[in-house]
Amino acid sequence: MNRESFRVIKPASRWLILLALVAGLACLIWPQQQPAPGPAFDGFAMTPDPGFAHAEGPISFNFPNDFGPHPDFQTEWWYYTGNLQAATGDHFGFELTFFRRALVPPAQMPTRSSDWAANQIYMAHFALTGVRDNSFHPFERFSRGAAGLAGATGLPVYQAWLEDWLVEQTGPRSFHLSASDSGAAIDLNLEDLKGPVLQGDHGYSQKGPQPGNASFYFSQTRLQTKGTLKLGDNAFQVNGLSWMDHEYSTSALDTDQVGWDWFAIQLDDGSELTIYDLRRKDGSIDAYSRGLIVRPDGTTQRLTTVDFAIHPEATWKSPRSGATYPSRWTLSISSENLELQITPYIADQELRLSFTYWEGAVQVQGAQNGKHLAGSGYVELTGYFQSLQGQF
Amino acid sequence: MKPAAPARLYPAALFNTGWRYLLLRRWQTALMIVGIALGVAVMVAIDLANASAGQAFQLSAESVTGKATHQIVGGPQGLDEQVYVDIVRQKLVDFAAPVIMETVSSPELGNLPMQLLGIDPFADAPFRNYLASGQVPRPDQLTPFFTRPGAVVLSSNMAARYHLSLGSSFLLVIEGRAKPVFVAGLLNPADSLARRTLEGVLLVDISTAQELTGRLGKLDRIDLILPQDSTAAIQTLKPRLPPGVEIQTVAARQGTIEKMTAAFSLNLTALSLLALVVGLFLIYNTMTFSVVQRRAQFGTLRCLGVTRREIFVLVVSEAFLVGVIGSAIGIGLGVLMGRSTVGLVTRTINDLYFTTNVQAVGISLESLLKGAAAGIIATVLTAAFPAWEAASVPPREALSRSALETKTRRAILLTAAIGIGLIAAGVMIFQVRGGGLFLGFGGTFAVIVGFAMFAAITMALMMRLAAPLLGKALGTIGRMAPRNLVGALSRTSVAVAALMVAVAVTIGVSLMIDSFRYTVTVWLEQTLQSDIYISVPGFNATASLGTIDPNVLPVVKSWPGVQRAGSLRTVTLDSPQGPVQVSATDNPDIGKERLYLEARLPTDKVWAAMLDGGILVSEPLANRLGLFDSNRTVSLSTPQGFKPFKVVGIYFDYANSEGSLFMAMAVYRSIWKDAGITAIGIRLLPGADSDQVSRALQDRLGRIQQLLIRPNQALRDEVMAVFDRTFAITAALRVLATMVAFIGVLSTLLLLQLEKQREVGILRALGLTGRQLWGLTMLETGLMGLSAGILAIPTGYALSLILIYVINRRSFGWTLQFAAPVDPFLQAILIAIISALLAGIYPAWRIEKKAAAEVIRNE
Repeated sequence: MNRESFRVIKPASRWLILLALVAGLACLIWPQQQPAPGPAFDGFAMTPDPGFAHAEGPISFNFPNDFGPHPDFQTEWWYYTGNLQAATGDHFGFELTFFRRALVPPAQMPTRSSDWAANQIYMAHFALTGVRDNSFHPFERFSRGAAGLAGATGLPVYQAWLEDWLVEQTGPRSFHLSASDSGAAIDLNLEDLKGPVLQGDHGYSQKGPQPGNASFYFSQTRLQTKGTLKLGDNAFQVNGLSWMDHEYSTSALDTDQVGWDWFAIQLDDGSELTIYDLRRKDGSIDAYSRGLIVRPDGTTQRLTTVDFAIHPEATWKSPRSGATYPSRWTLSISSENLELQITPYIADQELRLSFTYWEGAVQVQGAQNGKHLAGSGYVELTGYFQSLQGQF
Repeated sequence: MKPAAPARLYPAALFNTGWRYLLLRRWQTALMIVGIALGVAVMVAIDLANASAGQAFQLSAESVTGKATHQIVGGPQGLDEQVYVDIVRQKLVDFAAPVIMETVSSPELGNLPMQLLGIDPFADAPFRNYLASGQVPRPDQLTPFFTRPGAVVLSSNMAARYHLSLGSSFLLVIEGRAKPVFVAGLLNPADSLARRTLEGVLLVDISTAQELTGRLGKLDRIDLILPQDSTAAIQTLKPRLPPGVEIQTVAARQGTIEKMTAAFSLNLTALSLLALVVGLFLIYNTMTFSVVQRRAQFGTLRCLGVTRREIFVLVVSEAFLVGVIGSAIGIGLGVLMGRSTVGLVTRTINDLYFTTNVQAVGISLESLLKGAAAGIIATVLTAAFPAWEAASVPPREALSRSALETKTRRAILLTAAIGIGLIAAGVMIFQVRGGGLFLGFGGTFAVIVGFAMFAAITMALMMRLAAPLLGKALGTIGRMAPRNLVGALSRTSVAVAALMVAVAVTIGVSLMIDSFRYTVTVWLEQTLQSDIYISVPGFNATASLGTIDPNVLPVVKSWPGVQRAGSLRTVTLDSPQGPVQVSATDNPDIGKERLYLEARLPTDKVWAAMLDGGILVSEPLANRLGLFDSNRTVSLSTPQGFKPFKVVGIYFDYANSEGSLFMAMAVYRSIWKDAGITAIGIRLLPGADSDQVSRALQDRLGRIQQLLIRPNQALRDEVMAVFDRTFAITAALRVLATMVAFIGVLSTLLLLQLEKQREVGILRALGLTGRQLWGLTMLETGLMGLSAGILAIPTGYALSLILIYVINRRSFGWTLQFAAPVDPFLQAILIAIISALLAGIYPAWRIEKKAAAEVIRNE
């Protein structure tokens, strides 16, 4: 089998999050208080529509247009994470993510005269990590991709927004991010140092053995970041590195997996690393787990489970959800002669929103060929509070 | 040193004497209980109706406003949806939610008024909590709600009631147009509050609401939740809102409606209290009688060492027992009666004030408790007078039966003087400037009780006049009857007072309704000058605010037989003092077609002044906004902000109690850019038949929109029907009050006759025939009825003046033309005499039946 066909595991995991979160949207609309017999909302269900486009093979991307939305596909997300330092020595992590989900294929959307008639639902997560005061501030929003409330565009300029949370392209390689909620805010300018990195086979990421069960997926792995960050009453001038993932697909999940551990690491030698462990029901690591090295010159090297190993070294138990997460890892890539110690900047970066997961800033120390390496990154841990299985 | 305790009756034995008395005098006790029960029942029934209407309003309001503290509202056509998008994109407030609302109905859902509520589910959670609990819907279950046109979500209870299930299609009638919709989701509210909040609500996405109502690009309002101290938030928002878009508190908007219905509810409560007052006369009467009957017994008890306090407590405890039983029966009866009163009151409120989508609400425990408390406390307080009387008489005098009567006769003048004082006090209360409705009712009660105080003196005088006349006509019996009545004045006068109050209420309320009816008839004649009226069917009888399809007017204008088709646009605009109903008219004769309370211009100059921006305001609006000084203006919210409009006249109007105003159509359209039409008035060419044209138009226009097309007479009849419906409950209360009084008279006579058994026996022994005795009894009761009827005439007249010039004015701001036909007076006297005679039949029959010896032996 083609090695490339396993590239999509991490995207697949995010797809799971998306689905879980869109399902959770109802929690937000109709908050839960006490259990009652019978379903509280009984909706008129429509069968999943086969009318969406599917990723069926490598295509050529056209930027900046492909930064924008692809409404023929059912799901799509724009994922920004980053580690930032202030002149005061404070270290911060941020996450700003936009999810899009189409309700019916565009061709099958009934003709509607209202501007508010929506075929797209948008969801966004924004989280700030303050290392010095050991604080974590997650937020969540939903809106419709209509009436200008939320949406994404590729041309004339790339934008994705939900209410006042926004990412927009401001130059050939520059982008602007802003979001705020309840005393936490970012206003950042990002400069893409490497350009889009295509994941999988030129951006075509096969998801499983069946053809068409795949996605299109690209990243910006080194975004030089500068701007302001507010936390409580304090405002900081910050500098650092951000990471962007953008993926779109129409596919159903294979259902043996309970969750995943995903690592995005930016090292001080100019290289980046994506590693992904998919955890199976029986506790083993799925053979579909994959990785990708982005070298300082932008070339990439794909990794499979034979190439890397991840060992959890410690755990952290969330006092709110009660879930126990791994919280320190040793990552070794034998083919690269690389070993890294990965430690969360703070233990509690759990998002208890419509869906409970852990996504946080991590510190990296290690060595390659005897040479000391350091860096930062983001880790995502899902399936520790509730299995994704049975959600759908 | 403590004096030695006197020998005492064991308390239980003492109370036994009281309670056994109640048991022995079953008739008397039963009558007291009936009196209290009726009074309490009327009060409970009305209170239940008021509480139910209030709760229906609360729930209706809650289902649509939820937890919002403020609202952003626009002009008559709503506000641009972009206002909301801008607020959200700039995150000017933490919580904002767009709303579109319309009252709709569906043939499949019983044709009842329902609230179509258009919301954005993503923004609405902090505002309206539709589900108290439940499982998470799957995304594919929400898909139709967002994507498919006509997707409606409703509570599973409603769906079950109307046999709808997921996917069922049905028709919604919105502003006269039927639109197909389908059930896209069912909500299962977990608790009864959520269930009642959802009752009558059809939830749709804002997109669906825009499409169903045709308000594309528009929102009705934006709900906001602002922090406790909202000044900063409002200051941030205000400069960013386009002109003509206002931010206001929810409390201010709801308060206006609540104030409107408060007057209506208070009127009903006052009338129901009147029934209780009549019931109290009855209790007073019966208790006094029972005390008089037992004067000898009390005297004996006092001689045996029973203290005054014990006698007092004995009598009061009897009353308490009767009060408890009477109130309990009254509550049961009230709940039964409440079923119909709730319907009547809700109907009236729907007609006149607002459309509730809540059909039924539970029985409020508070109403029941109120009724019980009022019944028991009033009974005990009323009984306190006779109890005090019984206790305060020295032992020896208590044995003398005539003592009380002597005292009563002496007190006649004093009572009359108190009556004058009460009437004067009442009249003075009415003079209090800015006195509210409460003071108004206070004054009314003072005047009524004041008049009732004249019962004794009226009877005494009348009997003095009647005795010689009747003596000449009927001989001995004719002379005896008046003397008997005066001899028992302490009881007869109270019975007469009770009957008088009931009859006076009948006269007063009849005169008020007659005057009101007359006024409305004259007003309709003046106001409804067109031959045919076209409007969109609505749920509010007095004003339909639905918009007529723009294709209708051209058809009407070119219809054969139509001379002229005038159009009217009725909208609700905001003023700093709350919402105001504004009607824009293109009728140049408007100046001549209204009756003026205050014309500031000759009627032929009115139209020119209106084209210049002048407005005509209705009397209730003038009252509400204080527009009686000349040079007053009304400020209205325009797309350019608030703008003053000069008042050029105040006209009489009885269509609504919040008030309304007229402006020229040209002025309205140039300011608000709204070409919509709410009503069309058609003048026909001479010879054209309005019924025929109406039917023909109905056939033709039905293809465009479902419309109400009514000839002048039909509309007039309908208005009068609403009018009569409004007063149905008043009329029912009037009958109830009379019933209570009737029972009062019956019990008094029964007791009087029972008391006189010995005397009757002697009369029989002296040779009076049964027939003559029958005649004597009927004469006595007839005289009592006549006295009550005669005294009721001035009282009823005074009451009607108060109702018309004080109560109605203060409640609704309407000036009624006083019309005083003779009928109500004659009817009243007849009612008084007939009910008195009816009440006399049984006692007379009893006396006639008994043989002389038996009667004397009975002693």
